[in-house]
Amino acid sequence: MSDSIKFFINGQEFFGKQGQTVLQAAAANGIEIPFLCYDARVKPCGACGVCVVESEGSAKLLRACSTPLTEGQKIKTDTPRVQAARNSALALLLSNHTGDCTAPCRNACPAHTDCQGYVGLIANGEYQAAAALIKEKLPFPASIGRICPHPCETECRRKLADAPVNIAALKAFTAQFAAECPPPTKPSTGKRVSVIGGGPAGLTAAYYLRLYGHDVTVYEAMPKMGGMLRYGVPQYRLPKDILDAEIAHIQRTGVQFINNAAVGGSITLQQLRDNSDAVITAIGAWKGMRLNCAGEHLQNVFSGIEFLRDVFAYQKAIKGKRVVVIGGGDTAMDACRTAVRLGAGEVSVVYRRTLAEMPANKIEIQEAIEEGVIFKCLVHPVEMLGDKAVTHIRLQKMELGEPDASGRRAPVPVSGAHEVVEADAVIIMIGQTVDVTGFQDVTLTNKKTIAADQHTFATNLQAVFAVGDATNKGAGIAIEAIGEAARCAQVVDNYLATASLKPLQKEYRVTDTKTAEDFAFIPKQSRITAPITPLKARRNNFKEVNKLLSAAQAQKEAARCLECGCADFFECKLIRYANRYGIAPEKYSGAMQSHGLDVSSPYMYRDMNKCVLCGLCVRICEAMGSGVLGFINRGFDTVVSPELNRPLNKTNCTACGQCADACPTGAIGERVPLKKCVPLHTQATQSVCGGCATGCGVKVHSYGRLHIKNTPLSGGMLCREGRFGFIKQLKQPRVTAPLIRTDNKLIKSTLPQAAKFVLERLNQITNQYGNNAVGVCVSAQNSNQEIAEILKFAKNVWQTQNIFTFDACLNQPAEADFAAPPVVRVRARLNSRGLLDAGVPVYAATHGGIKALLMLGSIPSGAKIPNVEFLTVVDAFITPVAKKADCVLPTAAFYEKAGSFTDINGTVQQSAAPFTPLTAPTLKDILLALSK
Amino acid sequence: MRVLVGRGSCGEAAGAHALQKLLQQKLLEEGCDIAVETAGCIGACFLEPIISVQDGDAFRDYVRVDNTAVEEIARMLCGKPNKASDYLMNCEDAQLLKKHPRIALRNCGRINPEAIQDYIAAGGYSDFTQKDILAEIKSSGLAGRGGAGFSTWFKWNAVRNSQGANKTVIVNADEGDPGAFMDRAILEGDPHSIIEGMLICAYAVGANEGIIYVRAEYPLAIARLKTAVKQAEEGGYIGKNCLPDFSFYVRIKEGAGAFVCGEETALIASLEGERGMPRLKPPFPAEKGYFGNPSNINNVETFANVPWIMQNGGAAFSAIGTQTSKGSKVFALTGKIKKGGLVEIPMGLTLRECIFDMGGGILGGKRFKAVQLGGPSGGCIPESLLDTVIDYKALSETGAIMGSGGMVVMDETTCMVNMARFFLDFTAKESCGKCTHCRIGTKRMLEILQRITDGGGREGDIEQLEELAACIKDGALCGLGQTAPNPVLTALRYFKDEFISHIRDKKCLAKECRALLTYIIDTEKCTGCTLCAKKCGAGAISGQLKNAHSIDNQKCTKCGVCARVCKFGAVKAE
Repeated sequence: MSDSIKFFINGQEFFGKQGQTVLQAAAANGIEIPFLCYDARVKPCGACGVCVVESEGSAKLLRACSTPLTEGQKIKTDTPRVQAARNSALALLLSNHTGDCTAPCRNACPAHTDCQGYVGLIANGEYQAAAALIKEKLPFPASIGRICPHPCETECRRKLADAPVNIAALKAFTAQFAAECPPPTKPSTGKRVSVIGGGPAGLTAAYYLRLYGHDVTVYEAMPKMGGMLRYGVPQYRLPKDILDAEIAHIQRTGVQFINNAAVGGSITLQQLRDNSDAVITAIGAWKGMRLNCAGEHLQNVFSGIEFLRDVFAYQKAIKGKRVVVIGGGDTAMDACRTAVRLGAGEVSVVYRRTLAEMPANKIEIQEAIEEGVIFKCLVHPVEMLGDKAVTHIRLQKMELGEPDASGRRAPVPVSGAHEVVEADAVIIMIGQTVDVTGFQDVTLTNKKTIAADQHTFATNLQAVFAVGDATNKGAGIAIEAIGEAARCAQVVDNYLATASLKPLQKEYRVTDTKTAEDFAFIPKQSRITAPITPLKARRNNFKEVNKLLSAAQAQKEAARCLECGCADFFECKLIRYANRYGIAPEKYSGAMQSHGLDVSSPYMYRDMNKCVLCGLCVRICEAMGSGVLGFINRGFDTVVSPELNRPLNKTNCTACGQCADACPTGAIGERVPLKKCVPLHTQATQSVCGGCATGCGVKVHSYGRLHIKNTPLSGGMLCREGRFGFIKQLKQPRVTAPLIRTDNKLIKSTLPQAAKFVLERLNQITNQYGNNAVGVCVSAQNSNQEIAEILKFAKNVWQTQNIFTFDACLNQPAEADFAAPPVVRVRARLNSRGLLDAGVPVYAATHGGIKALLMLGSIPSGAKIPNVEFLTVVDAFITPVAKKADCVLPTAAFYEKAGSFTDINGTVQQSAAPFTPLTAPTLKDILLALSK
Repeated sequence: MRVLVGRGSCGEAAGAHALQKLLQQKLLEEGCDIAVETAGCIGACFLEPIISVQDGDAFRDYVRVDNTAVEEIARMLCGKPNKASDYLMNCEDAQLLKKHPRIALRNCGRINPEAIQDYIAAGGYSDFTQKDILAEIKSSGLAGRGGAGFSTWFKWNAVRNSQGANKTVIVNADEGDPGAFMDRAILEGDPHSIIEGMLICAYAVGANEGIIYVRAEYPLAIARLKTAVKQAEEGGYIGKNCLPDFSFYVRIKEGAGAFVCGEETALIASLEGERGMPRLKPPFPAEKGYFGNPSNINNVETFANVPWIMQNGGAAFSAIGTQTSKGSKVFALTGKIKKGGLVEIPMGLTLRECIFDMGGGILGGKRFKAVQLGGPSGGCIPESLLDTVIDYKALSETGAIMGSGGMVVMDETTCMVNMARFFLDFTAKESCGKCTHCRIGTKRMLEILQRITDGGGREGDIEQLEELAACIKDGALCGLGQTAPNPVLTALRYFKDEFISHIRDKKCLAKECRALLTYIIDTEKCTGCTLCAKKCGAGAISGQLKNAHSIDNQKCTKCGVCARVCKFGAVKAE
């Protein structure tokens, strides 16, 4: 190989080609050198300073994007000097990059659930996809949607406009559409994991580890799986059948469940360690805290945890009695409202601060009050009175003093002020601790919880991990335990593969701060809440109190989302590098650029606050022959802008969208054709642009059935038609079922009926006028395979000579804007060359005597079809011609078909189908049905 | 006998134009038929306006000329009794002018820049076609005078050997360093030397096009260049077939005043009509420059040396200077110096000789603190290094650079932190915005320096500055960015204690950083005249008549008016 150049990267030998840059040669050898401002489609400019490398013999750092490869060159990509330059470039860029990588709701969720993602999908009516997205982080959307105190909503920015989006209710709503089948598990690794505890944390860890391909067994001390979700949360908040269904879903992945198996009881930790490659401890906090006051031993003084675990065992002691619940947390609310439902005569809650400081969810307090619970605040029990059973409680009166460590004002006893109240039963619900029986080898914290590493969840024991309420700070909310468990599953997965503990670092995110003023322009819209069972219908039973949102309500509520997270999050190079190289831009914090948004173009938005000034948009705009964008100002104030700072729609912008495609961040992006623009991790399928006969390659980005965008193939260019032409089609009404003209109207029918209708008329016509009275018109929208099938059908079945097309294979630029290289848009439609090559003639006067016409696919605009007695149209869309037809049959739209298309140069291009057809019958089915 | 009025920008600013008119009028009145001609600056800007009388080869320079002096000179010229000699340049200054041979400035102030015959009479436009130009330039050891000091011969040779038609010779007259005006003086005083320098270069490398890229802020230079180009064309010195089988066309391009356009690739981008942003090297302009054609760029002073070398030989040039730096160099002395202006000195003189002998030392009897060389790309050199010789290598070892020739002299009242901030503010604003390190990095450094001078300095600031500086030097794309941290780094190297006192003690030793000053009234000295209280705009001074006053530092805006108006030196800033 004469053009082969030997070179070295970090001591390893590689071969490159003459004329390649260091960056290109490295990439060709699978070595990634990071860069922001390079794009093969334009000249290198060296702006970003991220691709710097050291080259032996060169005193200066080199920019790999523009350094020509030389024989024997010794490149180093990761020396301290390179790291310092590259990392400082990234940190400096990030120090001047404003916005929110991900939405505050997502950042606030302890499990990092993509709240904006599923809310957005719900707004677009994609319920199943929304449920699937939640399950990537949390396997209990239905349960958690019902019981979560939703930190996401606390951070929701909509509260600055009116009220936060009802994210939890949306989660509960969309969970009912969750797929029956779990996602496929990865190939078996042969590793065994034992999970101790079948609560939300244990089951979550088990679920994800199973999906990673490990054999997982969950050991649960209680008779059923579910932990606190089953034995702590009352039925009226979380019906057991809902929980059962979600647990069953986890079981379907192949996780083994063993109930009634308690460590320290029938099994030991050592046994599990011996039998498995890793053990995850998720035993929860199941011991109620004691008041440590006199009389606590008296009869009818109950631990709240035990009370909730087996509610009906306490019915006798509660029914008709005066019940006092001590505590002000969510579980205290569960206890008092459960006591109401058990038929207690009077239920009161005793709390040492005021209602305002009470940690329980406000709505829970409100509903308890509605249900008749009496709240006695600023009192603290000091003694239970009674002979055998409790009869009274002595309460110390309190007042609020200085704020304590929690930031709330601390209750201080009022000297000598006491009160004695009557009580037949007392439920103590002032906190939970961990029962560590059987875990004597595990190191504990000074809170008597299991000590687990914050980043690896490792305990002091080899291969034993711990998560959830049982660890570190103790009992928290379910979603925290689930988040830990899901992250622990990643650590354990890596541990099982590599035998090393790789800590999970918190991912870096750019965040913005907003005030109410920023949202003053948002029209107020009230928060939609799920209907609540009326008081009378709920007080005496355990039926679920909160109903689900209806689909219409859910879509409307989801539409309130302000779309805080960056639309380009999943494609942003800057954030990817920031996390890969552990960039900490805080040390460079200083003034930041501040620009208005440009949303004047229907196709693209410009948010220069996110611009890293790589200049790719400027250069690619120039390469497209538009030259709309340029730099203005100097120094730190430099910004990319159209001439005279005009909005895009007031410039010569042709909306080819190349700038958005080249932009490495979210500074210029496509305006996605969705009701709600939701950042999604899309799937890209290689296809061909259906816009014209040039047949440019495109990548179709999809998410389920959502067509998000089209981008050029790597290194390619597209015109507006290629980038955004599909949006027109999305808006066009589809033919969803066969339509038959009755009483001058097109009425929905079935394929057999429609076929019968068509065949009758065609037979009539052929009988009367001969075979050539049937004309078959083939559209250029058909693939080569479809054209072949249609021709076979026309010749063999109907034996007509009148086969033609309206698609002439013309090579004339269609629009002056796109006539300039590198992209030329021509007048002819995509497969017109395929028709030409297949010998299909263009319609001419010689095609006479046609009485019935079968049109397969649409015709180019402006084409005039002959007047016929009977017109059948097979098409994906209700076109003007279809509206005049006697029968319309549905078929797949362009991006729903796989096949080959011939471009105007005669190149046959393969196109995969990014989407499955919307309608059931295929073209083959239809042709078969229309065969005599 | 000839009469020349120094009408460079410095002379014009001092009123030379009116004086020239007045002198002409007086001579007419006296019936004396002597034309009063225009000349450039002889370099002694601190003595402007200057009127020079030429008698054969000898010049008599009348300095700090005013209307009375003009009358005396007119009388002298007409042979009448006069006191013109009162205005003659003193011997010391006159000797300084002659002390070192002048090459680049050889004609400045001594010929009429608007008269080509003057230039020709001074030996200009003599035949060089028989000489081996490149060999002469090589033996001269001439290095680029723009700042980097790159071998001129090497560049010319590369362009000559470069494949490609339409070679171009470009003059970089985008002089932009604060305190530098060497090129302007040459353009205003001897424009033909540049045109001839270009012609010689073009002939040597095979270029037919010449462009002078001159900043629009030099209107006088542009006007004189235009005249010179026109005269040279009319005289057949440039233009079609100006030499046997050789044509050379020169045009002038006015730059819009972006400092970065002094960087050669940015200058080329600007010439092409693009935004002035540096481009990646390689390819170097010698390979692919102006519109992709081989191009040679040198600055004004470099070209000004070329005709002299052709006339006197490379050896004569290289006989001057040091082992590594040949010839002489023009410096612009500014700042707190007695004799501000231009000096041309042989390489190898010490900084001390340049500043104290040629420049006369520090103004107002203050103490020398530092000299800033090389503008925003250079650095400051402290007193301890004043004996450093002026030589590319020796100067760069100090952390500063030779630069294009700006020498800003600072005395004890200059705060070095503020000086570093000033230069960084300049580069941060003049950064083209293209590369990350220069655009954001210099801004972040500037923010830290601003904070320090505003009294908000924090522990760790110095380390952060050093870290950022290192990253910018390594990561920036062009010379502007790569050298932008130099003023800060040299200030940190030689005056770290000033930074520390700003940060830790919140004190500015030079008493320049206003935010760090506290004004107090010395009760011993205060006579209670009430003047300061009356002048204080903030109402911060109180006191009874004939009783000592005091300043309320909560109200004080630190404007310093009180200290300035106090006749008893009672107000002090600490």
